[in-house]
Amino acid sequence: MENFIEITIDNQQVKVDPSENIVEACARVGVKIPTLCYLKGISKNASCGVCVVEVEGAKALVRSCVQNPTPGMKIHTSSPRVLRARQTAIELLLANHPTDCLSCIRGDTCELRTVANLLGVRADRFPSYKRYPAPDTTSEGIVRDDEKCILCGRCVSVCEETQGINAIAFTGRGARTRVSTFMDRGLAQSACVQCGQCSVVCPTGAITEKDDSREVFGALQDPKLLVVVQTAPAIRASLGEALGLPPGSLVTGKMVAALRRLGFAKVFDTQFAADLTIMEEGSELLERLSHGGTTPMITSCSPGWINFIEGFYPDLFGHVSTCKSPQQMFGAVAKTYYAQTAGITPDKMRVVSIMPCTAKKYEARRKEMDSAWDWWKEKDAKLAGLRSFFDVDWALTTRELARMIKLAGIDIADLQEEDFDDPLGRSTGAATIFGTTGGVMEAALRTVYEIVEKKPLEKIEFTQVRGFTSIKSAEVVLGGNPIRVAVAHGLSNARILLDEIRAGRSPYQFIEIMSCPGGCIGGGGQPVLSNSKTKLARSQALYTEDSILPIRKSHENPAIQTLYKEFLGEPLGHLSHELLHTSYRARTF
Amino acid sequence: MPKIISNAKTQGLDDIIESWKGRNGSLLGALEQAQQNDPQKYLSENTLREVSKRLNVPLSQVYSVATFYSFFSLKPQGEHVIVVCRGTACHTRGSLVLLNEALSRLGIKEFKEEEENSITSSDTFATIRTVACFGQCALAPVIMVDGKVLSRMTVSKLVSLLERLKKGGEV
Repeated sequence: MENFIEITIDNQQVKVDPSENIVEACARVGVKIPTLCYLKGISKNASCGVCVVEVEGAKALVRSCVQNPTPGMKIHTSSPRVLRARQTAIELLLANHPTDCLSCIRGDTCELRTVANLLGVRADRFPSYKRYPAPDTTSEGIVRDDEKCILCGRCVSVCEETQGINAIAFTGRGARTRVSTFMDRGLAQSACVQCGQCSVVCPTGAITEKDDSREVFGALQDPKLLVVVQTAPAIRASLGEALGLPPGSLVTGKMVAALRRLGFAKVFDTQFAADLTIMEEGSELLERLSHGGTTPMITSCSPGWINFIEGFYPDLFGHVSTCKSPQQMFGAVAKTYYAQTAGITPDKMRVVSIMPCTAKKYEARRKEMDSAWDWWKEKDAKLAGLRSFFDVDWALTTRELARMIKLAGIDIADLQEEDFDDPLGRSTGAATIFGTTGGVMEAALRTVYEIVEKKPLEKIEFTQVRGFTSIKSAEVVLGGNPIRVAVAHGLSNARILLDEIRAGRSPYQFIEIMSCPGGCIGGGGQPVLSNSKTKLARSQALYTEDSILPIRKSHENPAIQTLYKEFLGEPLGHLSHELLHTSYRARTF
Repeated sequence: MPKIISNAKTQGLDDIIESWKGRNGSLLGALEQAQQNDPQKYLSENTLREVSKRLNVPLSQVYSVATFYSFFSLKPQGEHVIVVCRGTACHTRGSLVLLNEALSRLGIKEFKEEEENSITSSDTFATIRTVACFGQCALAPVIMVDGKVLSRMTVSKLVSLLERLKKGGEV
């Protein structure tokens, strides 16, 4: 506070922090300046011209996203000159923006529409002069539509700085400027890891998830099919928000009820598979530690992260756990163990997953993700004649599920809470925290510690690996040996740990990497317009659920114990390897 | 024979990129020299990839720079490169006539003006491009042939220049 300076905002004397820009200074005293290209912590390109303010003594209007306050500055944020300039800036953007708002997937979350409305834009003032290529639909996870792009550059910044991928950049010049990939080949052939962070920061409908909800509605209407659903941990902490509840609303029971109303025959939980992941991954870690295997071992739950290492660090594959992600473990178990128990064949079954993630759509379509098909083929010659099928049929994002719920007229506020179905709906607090950065690490430590020490943990919370610090580390004593662990979220942070490994100076034995900042609660399929506050609220919701669940350690999940007893045998056993483990391949672009 | 040529070319590219490593403006410099060094005076995908790899600049950013500057061509160019200015000053002093004259003399029919297009005659004798402005408006109309800016251009000057080039002469 001591270095705060005095300025005047709209004739009001205020003290502000001179290290923040005028947008943030104004926000702190209750004045909201509209912005499009500027997004706190992500980008400030000063390209859209919407955030202009008038500063007394300055010749021209000032773009408040790139100007910090100086002592004695007198700022006017809503003078007629300011409002006119903002309106013109929007009118110029709208000249080349389609007016298909009624049918646009972004609907009422479009920031351009909101700002246009706010500034009172009422007419098409300028003629359109641009022509656009057809939308880029090459990627499994993400669709880019140049026509809706306002060239704000948020996606370019998040891809370059937060994720360090550089799949996209501005190409061309002047009226032909676009955001595009190398040689305009489309996202699928670029460095893109499909994390979807661009789709979360995009202010318009230019970058969105590939919408699979229509196919899912179709399957739900088909009486011949048994359609089951699995929900990722992070969904219960963000679905409410996508449906208009405050950020951080924990809606587990209501989400289950809504999924039943939509017609899913069984509402299961990816968290069941998260507990299963801990059993397999924890055992793999102990195996590596005791038999001199490659360390540090790195978690493999996040498909954006897997795409990343396949593209940028294929020489480090040996460090990545061979465990499939919980989504894929679930699919493989659902179409084998569950199908067998329920007495149905897999061709009559569809597995839908609700994910906070666009890369999950790609993961579900990886050609090797058909373990259940392989299993049935060997088991039953009649089924060998069937067409091959994936373990997971469709992965929907939080945003798609929210749209389906609204479309079906389900009001989440009025729903009574319901429970997941048995047995693939049983899970623990350890699985819940998978949804936030540090959660997989904490869940693994809870189990690994008790397996090695053969006594209950005194303190179950590993708070050192919680929170949004870019790289967190901790030391745990396992069987008398100190084990160093680290957690990174956001792929630029992952690079730091990987470069250490490459250089042979990584001090760690176990590393958790999540593709998205904050982990899955900040995933690319999550509600748009999220910021550090909403992510914190979602994360807290998950820790709250963990703290109130009766079972908080994966190895104590009775349904998992039964699964091993009745079906899998033991962790890392033969069947586990067939159904729950995978391998990686280098990706070129 | 093609193999020998491609080896020689790669060698040249290697040296060019190496000479730019660690210098300010290395990306722009390397691309410019690589294009001039190329027998077809363009930046092939392979060239862009090599520059990206060796200068450690992401592919998307190399492509971004290569598509930003009108000097760079991502398509093979003809023996001679004719750039016609289509800025306002040159337009009012007849640059469209110059453009059409050049096109018809080179037998090019399918040129689309509004796209800041670049097109090469089928015999690869010449490439015609347009730019928005050379910044030489006082000398309008202006064209550039093989890197030389020619001012106060007229159709007859253009025609005799093309004749000269066809006979193997220089600008």
